[in-house]
Amino acid sequence: MQDKLEIEELIVKSFSQSLNPEEKIYLDSWLNESKENKIHFAQLGNIWQVAHPAFNPDEIDAGKAEAKVRRKILLQNWTQNSVAVWWQRAAAVLILPLIIFMGYLFFNRNQLKKVTAYQEVTSPFGISSKIELSDGSTVWLNSGSKLKFPVTFEAKERKVFLSGEAYFKVHSDKSHPFIVKTCNMQIRATGTQFNVEAYPSGAYTAVTLMEGKVDVNMNENQKEQLHPDQRIVLNSKTKKYSLVKTDAKDWGMWKDGVLVFRDEPLDEVFQRIGRNFNINIELKDSVLGKQIYRATFEGESLEEILRLLKMTAPIEYKRFGRNKLPDNKFTKERIEVFRAQ
Amino acid sequence: MVEEGQLLKELKVGNKKAFSYLFQKYYKDMVLFGGNYLRDKSRCEDIVQSIFLKLWGDRENLIIETSLKSFLLKSVKNGCLDELRHTEIVHKHESYVEIFGDMNGIETSHYILYSELKVHLNEALDKMPDLYRKVFEMNRLEGLKYRQIAQKLEVSERTVEVRVGKALGLLREYLSDFLVTLLLLIFFYN
Repeated sequence: MQDKLEIEELIVKSFSQSLNPEEKIYLDSWLNESKENKIHFAQLGNIWQVAHPAFNPDEIDAGKAEAKVRRKILLQNWTQNSVAVWWQRAAAVLILPLIIFMGYLFFNRNQLKKVTAYQEVTSPFGISSKIELSDGSTVWLNSGSKLKFPVTFEAKERKVFLSGEAYFKVHSDKSHPFIVKTCNMQIRATGTQFNVEAYPSGAYTAVTLMEGKVDVNMNENQKEQLHPDQRIVLNSKTKKYSLVKTDAKDWGMWKDGVLVFRDEPLDEVFQRIGRNFNINIELKDSVLGKQIYRATFEGESLEEILRLLKMTAPIEYKRFGRNKLPDNKFTKERIEVFRAQ
Repeated sequence: MVEEGQLLKELKVGNKKAFSYLFQKYYKDMVLFGGNYLRDKSRCEDIVQSIFLKLWGDRENLIIETSLKSFLLKSVKNGCLDELRHTEIVHKHESYVEIFGDMNGIETSHYILYSELKVHLNEALDKMPDLYRKVFEMNRLEGLKYRQIAQKLEVSERTVEVRVGKALGLLREYLSDFLVTLLLLIFFYN
């Protein structure tokens, strides 16, 4: 009991901060003796603090304090709202650039589409076409030919695909090479005029250059550069080619309605005539077909051409009219050519 | 009697009445509790007000693992200790903080608030023999130091200390009903 009172005394002294150092050490050691001692001390401390409040409880005005805090909350809400307003303004400022950006994206997407959007022009037999490309180049497409080209040229290269014969007048643009692809040849030009013959069924593919220069890539990495008045002929079967000198303008005259034959086998002559007039001409004599022929026809009718050929070559021919097929279509007109007896 | 969990739910959904209720219930106790660390009433009030401001601001993300009371008292304690550190007047109060401030959560988890104890404290004091009550009240109400009381009563300072100690011991006895719960809680939480 005496000991306990002493501790109570020390505790009381500690609460009023009047412990001397030895007393403090003694109190501390007592506190560390057990949890119960600590609890005891905490309980007395609690009672002491409640009994000796630092401030007069009656002077603490909770109502007034709450009003103050509520004002601050309102102010906080207001600043939060002003942040929202700021964002709205920022959004309003940003909306136009955003629309422009999205429009740009959309536009770009369209551009990409255009690159892949190709247009295809086919000249039926008997008709040739003239095509103006978006880059300013002009293409004459011979009868029975097909040209595939982008609606607008957006890529680095201006690439077109040809099946058949076409005369190209390429608009000069060195940074965007013009490329003509055929089934076994690739012609690369910047600003030139050249004629390409690449009928899929033909025995050869040929390029004839009128102006400037072109690079011709053939399959199996064969490469040649053409100069004006040169003509390259690639055999479709043997894949061999020859480079010959020629009068280039003759090879492009078909676009003006002039049929020019320069040292061509009769086989080829009849094939071209047939394409031009949309008829099938069958040469029934293979020896005669190899015979070299030279001629120029301008504005002549098929009848006249055949008559003129007959005058210079030992040939006879027989015309077969159109036959109506069961599906109401008509067969092509057919001409059979024989060696004259 | 409002259930605390329900009160917190209401607070989270922004019920201003719940906030007001909590404010009125705890504000004075919190300020007085702060007074144990920081003997500056306006500073204690500022700290407690900022705690309530934060409570409202963060109400949606509020996670209280202990009791709301303990949470609030811990906030006050931390706020006061921060304040003491910032104003570098720790030395002035450090012994006080040392004594009451670091009892490993006892004082916040199981602290009996002024409002909870006030009525019973007065009742307990009424029960107390005059001899002890007189020195206790002289110290408590008039703020007299033991030495001053000793002079007034013409007794030794030590006698005053013994009597105050006896008074405190008696109070602990009389208030044991409340302090028992404190005891149990301490063991439960520790």
